[in-house]
Amino acid sequence: MSQQAIARSEIEAEVEAKEEAESPSRASCEEGAEWNVIERAFLTRRSIRKFRKAQVPAHLIRRMLEIGRFAPSQGNCQPYRFAVVREPDLLRDMEEFCVAECKKLAGMTDYTAHEKGSLKRYAAEVVTRLVAASDPGAAHPVPMLVLKQIAEGRFTVFHRAPTVILLLVDKHGVGIPEIDIGIVGTNIVMAAESQGLGTCWVGFSKLLNQSPAWKERLGLDERFQISEAICVGHAVGKPWQRVIERATHEIQWFENGQKKVVY
Amino acid sequence: MSFLNRLLFADFPEWDDPEQCGFQRVTIDQEACDGCKMCVIVCPARVLELVRVDGKRKARTLPDIRGCISCNNCMAICTNDAIRATEHFHLAGYYENRGLGAFRPPRTSFPGP
Repeated sequence: MSQQAIARSEIEAEVEAKEEAESPSRASCEEGAEWNVIERAFLTRRSIRKFRKAQVPAHLIRRMLEIGRFAPSQGNCQPYRFAVVREPDLLRDMEEFCVAECKKLAGMTDYTAHEKGSLKRYAAEVVTRLVAASDPGAAHPVPMLVLKQIAEGRFTVFHRAPTVILLLVDKHGVGIPEIDIGIVGTNIVMAAESQGLGTCWVGFSKLLNQSPAWKERLGLDERFQISEAICVGHAVGKPWQRVIERATHEIQWFENGQKKVVY
Repeated sequence: MSFLNRLLFADFPEWDDPEQCGFQRVTIDQEACDGCKMCVIVCPARVLELVRVDGKRKARTLPDIRGCISCNNCMAICTNDAIRATEHFHLAGYYENRGLGAFRPPRTSFPGP
């Protein structure tokens, strides 16, 4: 019996012809068509920072983590573990710790608290420039503004959410594991949105990594550290009732031998 | 090297200079506002307040809303569509925003070239 491999190109041509003849494309949305259910969920999602006191049923948290489990990741290495915190005492202690840390950091970096031309302002500005030079994202004016507000007690870290999901990143993951955290978190957030729950990403949760006591309490180690947190709860009001317009972004479009810029 | 370069030469904007660090502007239509207070409650930066004007409750912005983080939830929560907060923060120097266009609602058709 002789066996002969069939050329790849031959198989591909057969499949292409069959696909064209028999099955219409799954993507059949006409221009101008209404948003579908999934798209609509992305449009109405908002970062919720005011939650009702009522706890979210545990099975819904498990359910959104199931959707997270099916997220794509680099090399399918799934470099994340989750810690779900629903204990009021623990949440209160986390909040207090992060606020205290923010106070320390704001004390060192917030030069706007001092008079222009003063030595104190100059000293704080040097610290800030050092931070900005080594980690520009950390010294971005927006998080710095929030840091100051948290320190002043005008802004909360975990927004008194009844459940906080800590996203732990495996430092030994493929490529840039933090990107996979962003993707798995989006899966979780959108699952929550589809269930009618509100969520908010909390980057300041990383402050907990700095404390040996918190590492111990949350069971963190060198491999698994807090990358982000997602607050989950029932939103106050109906923030999903209206889609809010937002800035468009530059899109470079290459087609027909031409490049154009659209927004 | 790039660290030193950034430290010495990067043009980091001053946080308290409105020219270099401008944040979102929020306007509340006093006619349309029915004083339901939801925007005041959901504002995480607490830059909105409820006042009594001629015996009627009205929401308004604090004189200084520099704490506004552009979350836009005041606009989303308003049942009377009375709040406009369409200007994104704009930053100068190293953090200058680039490649941003006008504010638009989500679109499903794209006429033009």
